[in-house]
Amino acid sequence: MRQTELFSTRWALILAALGMAVGTGNIWRFPRIVAQNGGGSFLIPWLIFLFLWSIPLLIIEFAIGKETRYGTVGAFGKFLGRKYTWMGAFVGFCTMAIMFYYSVVMGWCVKYFLAALFGDGGLGQPQTYWDGFTSSYEPVLFHLIAIAAGSFVIYKGVAGGIERANRILIPSLFVLLVAAAVRALTLPGALTGLEFLFRPELDKLFHYKTWLEALSQSAWSTGAGWGLILTYAVYMKKREDIVLNSFIAGLGNNSASLLAGIVILPTIFAVLPYQEAMQAVDSGNTGLTFIWIPALFQKMPLGGFFMMVFFLALTFAAVSSLLAMIELATRIFMDAGLQRSQAIVFVGITAFVLGLPSALSLDFFNNQDWAWGLGLIVSGMFFAFAVIRYGPERARTRLINAEGNDLNVGTWFNVVVTYLIPLEFVVLLIWWFWQAIAAYDPEGWWNPFRTYSMGTCVFQWGLALLIFGLLNNWLYRKTVTED
Amino acid sequence: MSATAIVTMIIILSLVWGGFVVMLRLAIKKEAAKAFNREQNPGA
Repeated sequence: MRQTELFSTRWALILAALGMAVGTGNIWRFPRIVAQNGGGSFLIPWLIFLFLWSIPLLIIEFAIGKETRYGTVGAFGKFLGRKYTWMGAFVGFCTMAIMFYYSVVMGWCVKYFLAALFGDGGLGQPQTYWDGFTSSYEPVLFHLIAIAAGSFVIYKGVAGGIERANRILIPSLFVLLVAAAVRALTLPGALTGLEFLFRPELDKLFHYKTWLEALSQSAWSTGAGWGLILTYAVYMKKREDIVLNSFIAGLGNNSASLLAGIVILPTIFAVLPYQEAMQAVDSGNTGLTFIWIPALFQKMPLGGFFMMVFFLALTFAAVSSLLAMIELATRIFMDAGLQRSQAIVFVGITAFVLGLPSALSLDFFNNQDWAWGLGLIVSGMFFAFAVIRYGPERARTRLINAEGNDLNVGTWFNVVVTYLIPLEFVVLLIWWFWQAIAAYDPEGWWNPFRTYSMGTCVFQWGLALLIFGLLNNWLYRKTVTED
Repeated sequence: MSATAIVTMIIILSLVWGGFVVMLRLAIKKEAAKAFNREQNPGA
């Protein structure tokens, strides 16, 4: 057998899948986006797209990983044939490119957790504190800590590292979020935030932007189409369920998002006047988390303690997702013949070096987040393409509804994969490129060296696709064992 | 809180949190059944 590591129990796999899915996006992006897009009006399409994008892609990833027992590169080569290996390489690289800067994000969370823990007085001036921190070399140190800690866990392997870490991280994360939610809901005025989170605005429900934002959030938040679940599925037992586990991962991710919304929005609306509250939710991921949140917690009773709880939860969410990303990269190099210990050293050093520009420059960080975040939609389409080419009905009956499955997926899966996911992909890509052209950078939208341009996506994706296309046969030979 | 916000909250939380709990319980039941079968048929 080529690889012998397996998750020891189904619960270990589910915890790892939840850890992969629940990341910083659930805590720092979801509450902001839901508030900007009509509360309850946003939640309805967001829930619909869980079933029309995220869960079908999770099912596909589980099925391909379990069937091929390879990381992304080898999986596409083995599943679709030699000439499609480049697709798996793109999927793997896209997630690795995110890993490079995600480690920086985890470093920021660790820094703020420590600052809250030790009562750093600088947090009293959050904007100055954030500007001072990000313009110093400190993010490099915390990026190093994040990637070293993550690499150490992955070095310990599936049972000794990923399983043990997630057994602590995920239950603790939910406990921390519940504790923070109880605090938020007991603040005077918290119901205004809850109203803002759940009240539907009919005009927004029928507005195309709400649906596109909901689809984008669903696509990014669950980790579907990233290749991460495919990687974890390599370590599934042979008679392990696919469909029920996918539903648990998807619904668990959305449960964590709602919990985060119940923490953030009532806190914002309880502490700030309406105009300032709206300013806070419009301030972007980093603005909300690292500038507004410290300011909010300063103004409430026991704020120092709950700020520490919040940043610890954010750190746990970040580390459990970072572990999945590091394992994805490590698995690809293990497929190419390296031992786990060799692969993790290579991945750790590479991730540290290639994450440095994001640690040192917020513009570079934002550019990478834009280009490769959007690249994930391409990755998701590649997974749907894989099943369309293999035959959705064949995949459904032979690979998904296989022995050991607890819940069978119906023929709706074929319709979603064949028609809806390709349609969602086209609409999302046009929408985000149109945002770049019309709103983000109307003058430099074509320029590959601008932060939020369409040109930078086309240039970076094109370069990756060109390189992987040229190396296609070599990648296949290095990765896939003919047997 | 307005009535529409309360109703939406109940529906959304029932579907998402309720769905998560129901799926977890189903997995627990299925795992228990598999363990029972293994005990009954150790050689299978």
